Amino acid sequence: MMLSIKNLKAEVEGKEILKGLNLEVGAGEVHAIMGPNGSGKSTLAHVLAGREGYEVTSGEATMDGQDLIGLEPEERAALGVFLAFQYPVELPGVNNTHFLKEALNAQRKARGEPELDSVAFLKLIREKLALVSMKPELLKRPVNAGFSGGEKKRNEILQMALLEPRLAILDETDSGLDIDALKTVSDGVNALRSPERSIILVTHYQRLLDYIQPDFVHVLAGGRIVRSGDKTLAKELEEKGYGWLTGQDEAA
Amino acid sequence: MSSSEQMATDLQQVLQQGRHRMTPGLSGPQWLSPVRARGAAAVATMSLPDRKQEAWRYSSLGFLDRVSYQPLVEGPFDAILPGDVEDLLLQDSDAVRLVFVNGYLATALTPAVRCCDGATVTNLTAEMGEVPEAVRTQLDAIAEHRHVFAALNSALMSDGALIHVARGVSSAPPIEILHISVGLDEPGIAHPRHLIVLEEGARAEVIERYCAMGDGSYFNNALIEVALGAGSELVHERVQEESPNAQHLSDLHVRLEAGSRYRLVQATLGGAWSRTDVRVTFEGEGAQAELDGLMLARDQQLNDVHLSVHHKVPHCTSHETFKGILDGKGRVVFDGHIVVARDAQKTDAVLANDNLMLSREAEVDAKPQLEIYADDVKCSHGTTVGELDANMLFYLRSRGISEVQAKQMLCQGFAEEILQKIDHPALRARASGLLAARLMESV
Repeated sequence: MMLSIKNLKAEVEGKEILKGLNLEVGAGEVHAIMGPNGSGKSTLAHVLAGREGYEVTSGEATMDGQDLIGLEPEERAALGVFLAFQYPVELPGVNNTHFLKEALNAQRKARGEPELDSVAFLKLIREKLALVSMKPELLKRPVNAGFSGGEKKRNEILQMALLEPRLAILDETDSGLDIDALKTVSDGVNALRSPERSIILVTHYQRLLDYIQPDFVHVLAGGRIVRSGDKTLAKELEEKGYGWLTGQDEAA
Repeated sequence: MSSSEQMATDLQQVLQQGRHRMTPGLSGPQWLSPVRARGAAAVATMSLPDRKQEAWRYSSLGFLDRVSYQPLVEGPFDAILPGDVEDLLLQDSDAVRLVFVNGYLATALTPAVRCCDGATVTNLTAEMGEVPEAVRTQLDAIAEHRHVFAALNSALMSDGALIHVARGVSSAPPIEILHISVGLDEPGIAHPRHLIVLEEGARAEVIERYCAMGDGSYFNNALIEVALGAGSELVHERVQEESPNAQHLSDLHVRLEAGSRYRLVQATLGGAWSRTDVRVTFEGEGAQAELDGLMLARDQQLNDVHLSVHHKVPHCTSHETFKGILDGKGRVVFDGHIVVARDAQKTDAVLANDNLMLSREAEVDAKPQLEIYADDVKCSHGTTVGELDANMLFYLRSRGISEVQAKQMLCQGFAEEILQKIDHPALRARASGLLAARLMESV
């Protein structure tokens, strides 16, 4: 398995959010994780990326058999874990091109690959820009500073396209996007689907899944996955809401 | 004998020598004598500042008790050749350059200064000649002897730059004043003195730098006077990269006539003890001053900026942004004092001071003060003190960037707002590179 999560429990500020979560994601698969607010979707995304303050208390998460939990965020990134943020962070004074180049080269260096010089990098980033229909001038600005919601999300997908992760976790990438932006961002993600790349889509709404068709859909409630299925499950959720599943969870 | 007494004794000796023209450094032209005499008279009536004085409360002069500074006399520094100072020079710079070593013009390092017609760049203490007397008389007419160091500078001034741009002349290329300190066996005190006079409608860009060869202990007591005629414009870019064992005081006085514009951007990066006093006086309506600064205070460094901006007349604008980065037991002192006189209606003044603390042991003493006597003005001030943002750090690290590099990038980003105001590309690159190198040792 590409990603294997077994009985994962995690807490934030002393409060247990993930309460024994199991998930297996194979190479090349797209998994959607849905669920009501507060069910632990974003916590799962951040735990996998290694955010400080998200403490794993038991269980394991491995990528190709290698433990992730003991690694620093940058080590996970070098292994191929990528988190597209729900709220991309603004970095005043940090030039976007500089940031992208440093990120790519840091990962390449960690993997023992040669770093790209400025010319090679610019050539590469121009190709990637086209993929997400991002305005080149946004490369000259500080990272995300003053970007619109859509521009920020495009910048996330641009990073994904550039860093070519093996596991991309998209945390509510659809939130705050209008239909046009949603379509552009989804097209970008679809272009990045490949047999070597697994994708986890964390989303509250079924809408995103009209554009990015998942292989599997999971419902997360109360810190556990309470139902898994194929994309028809998403349709079912759209019709029935989450109540019938979370109710089931409470009953269990 | 305490060092302050020692210093006074040394100074008395030097003054005596100066009067009798025994010390080559003080044997300057006759026209300087009244300035020196006035300075000496003021020194005689003043004592060293102590911490009971508000302006010196947070910048201790305790080092004066530990080090006895010998007055620096001129050269010989002919042994210093351009190759020796190459790593101190700006790369690919188009600026014309005056180089001073330990306060004195280094002719071997100063290429023939050729500016444009109407602009004069010369050694301040040279004999009268090409520079009109009206310009010379500005010397010491802009500065105030607010502390004994200013008076000392007037009494003991070494060489310095005299920059004069005639009416309506736009001086291209930029003019660089490079001061290099060479550590001697005994710690020395130098008194560089610069005078910049822009006539009506003139324009210039002046770069002022303080560098060191080696990591010696010395005290640079610089005084800079700037007179801006009506409608003139000066971009003044200062980078202080003194030795880690140095003391540096810059006393900068700026006088603005109507409609003139003054833009100061400085980065004070070096020295064990560094202080910049900036005094800006608006004498004519519609003038603008923008003052920006970056202060680096690494472990055991003190970096002090005192601003004193006087809006004496209506319709003037002053915007100040100073940012501090502190690490270890570094200390930043920021005192921004803006006075708006009763007649100075429609004043627009904004004072901001932001500090980034990389250590819990660092200390910031910030005192923004607005003293407003007019009733129709737009004035504000603000101070912030913060740590690196955890969200920002995680964002960078989640992209594969190490924690150390992420911190450096964020510090550099914090500084960027100031550094990007340095117009001169080579100077900006140097300041940015120095900051990066010093942060590398820090974070």
